[in-house]
Amino acid sequence: MSKLFPTQEIGSLRKPSSLLSLVKKPGISDEEKAKTRNDAALLNIRTLEETGLDIIYDGEVRRVEMYEEPVRYIDGFDFAGRVRSWDNKYYNKARVTGPVKFKGNFHEYEFKFVRKNSKKEIKVPVTGAYTLADWSYNEHYKSKEELIIALARNVLRPLIKDLVKLGAKIVQIDEPAGTSHPSEMDIFKESINESVKGINTKIVVHACFSGNDYKVLAPQMSEIKAQQYTLEFANRDAWNLGTSEKTRKGFQVLKLFKEYGYKGEIGIGVTDVHVDEIESPQLVRDRILFAAKALGDPSKIYVNPDCGLRTRSRKVAFNKIKSLVQGAGLARQKFK
Amino acid sequence: MISSYTLGIFPRSEELIEATRKHTSNLSSLFLKETKEYISLQKKAKLGYVSDPLLKWDDIFRPFAQLKSVKFAALNRIYEMNTFYRRLFFKNGVKGGGNIVKSNLAISLLPKNRTVCLPEPYTFADRHLSPKNKSKDEFVIELAKMLRKEALTLVKAGFKLIQIIGPSIAYNINKVDLDLVKEGLDILTRDVKAKTILHFYFGDVSKKIERLLDLPVSGLGFDPTSTPVASIKKYNFSEKSLAIGMVDSYMTKVENKKKCISEMNQIVSKTKPKDVFVTTNFDLEYIPKEFAQKKILVLGEIARGIKYV
Repeated sequence: MSKLFPTQEIGSLRKPSSLLSLVKKPGISDEEKAKTRNDAALLNIRTLEETGLDIIYDGEVRRVEMYEEPVRYIDGFDFAGRVRSWDNKYYNKARVTGPVKFKGNFHEYEFKFVRKNSKKEIKVPVTGAYTLADWSYNEHYKSKEELIIALARNVLRPLIKDLVKLGAKIVQIDEPAGTSHPSEMDIFKESINESVKGINTKIVVHACFSGNDYKVLAPQMSEIKAQQYTLEFANRDAWNLGTSEKTRKGFQVLKLFKEYGYKGEIGIGVTDVHVDEIESPQLVRDRILFAAKALGDPSKIYVNPDCGLRTRSRKVAFNKIKSLVQGAGLARQKFK
Repeated sequence: MISSYTLGIFPRSEELIEATRKHTSNLSSLFLKETKEYISLQKKAKLGYVSDPLLKWDDIFRPFAQLKSVKFAALNRIYEMNTFYRRLFFKNGVKGGGNIVKSNLAISLLPKNRTVCLPEPYTFADRHLSPKNKSKDEFVIELAKMLRKEALTLVKAGFKLIQIIGPSIAYNINKVDLDLVKEGLDILTRDVKAKTILHFYFGDVSKKIERLLDLPVSGLGFDPTSTPVASIKKYNFSEKSLAIGMVDSYMTKVENKKKCISEMNQIVSKTKPKDVFVTTNFDLEYIPKEFAQKKILVLGEIARGIKYV
């Protein structure tokens, strides 16, 4: 993208209440459900466009959740039941009981719809092989590594290939588990590289909340076949303004990326997705300016929230995005 | 003696998850009903020691949020699991304690052969936040003193076996200050008239077993999915109790009873422990309820199949 500090979303937004209440209604027809889903997707697309973001999607409005959705459509998985994420938040965990197999592009309709209805550049998120394996019980393959590589080759690669065939220019591989096992970083690298083998499109890798501040990712970044990483920083950063080392403590690891010779793009998380307080445009600006300085090349900086904003109300989420867009504008002015 | 018990938190049922989410009017009675069910199931499985399933506990440290001057900090990953706990910030150091755990248990429902878990002090300090003016060592010691008060109360309440859970020792085994661990455990277990079994999981401790045998606890508990059984067999446990987490809480497949019994018999004949316990390797909450129930039953069957001469 030619402009400095392009802005983008990571993926999920809280679903509109109209959609939630309708899909729970008994006796509702498939046509009505489909229409409501289309309306909800359209609402998200328009609202994200109005915030001024440069790169958008549909807030993953049709997806149950980032793990359960793909698993529903992959052979070899069998849902076991709900397991705690935290407190009383649970996810539907599956076990792998047979060879994993791609049955068809489960994001096809969604992608075509966004492509047809969006005026902006689009980035399609897909859940990565490593995360799918890590969040499942492996009760078929001899090792976790074997399962991950099977998912990368037999599911992710055909899925991404098909999306590219349909016109996807940017594919974001979501890997929240990607950096959570420091001793498995080689497997993680291999899983991405196998997933994108022979594919010619822009690949973005999103990893978040591993608890190790990407220190384990830094040495691998240049060897992973991705053009961009979208990462979380804001939740570890201070809220006061400024571009000093001390103030921008959440962004320090960017220097490590540079030390390891990483020359690609970074989508920096400037918005904490776990608090309602809205980051001011000035705070966003300072985070961007610090990141640009730390990485040494402002043209490599993209701007996004830490992660998907589904944890926030829609009002808070869109206000955070508006502020993010304004902050990127302020940062751009400093480079005029 | 051969015995058995489960570790930590049990899974909530789908019904209980939904009721908790909606805060339905029957929520309290539902918690009580499921607690009773799990206790009955452990009795049916003839487990040597019966645990409260801790269904109301959102994580293993959560009751300690009731301590004075504790504030909630951000969510943090439980080691490398896809489950998170709420970090606690001890703003003014560790104050109070003595009745926290007991008051969060359904004591009246438990039989006499009851067990409960307490965090090991180093693990507790490793996972939570101390005030800036306190060193890690000071924090460990303060927590150990508080946990000792808890342990003494639990013994008074009839708990015969206290599981001391120390995953941070296992996770950081090459970096952990075992002298500090020992100091913390010395305080925690002093005058505690119950069996104290220190459990290691989420990391391989095979290279430090000799040092671990010196720790001031009645016994050690291992997770064979992270510490290879072959390494445990090399040591003599005649002065210690030995607990083996033969039942895997991270797999829905139910264990092959015969294979586990044979494995346990081999371990016992090699290590000659003072007492033998078969346990889960960690909290059953990492599998859905339907599978946890099956695992509780098989745990009892494995324990009954072991031959101990």
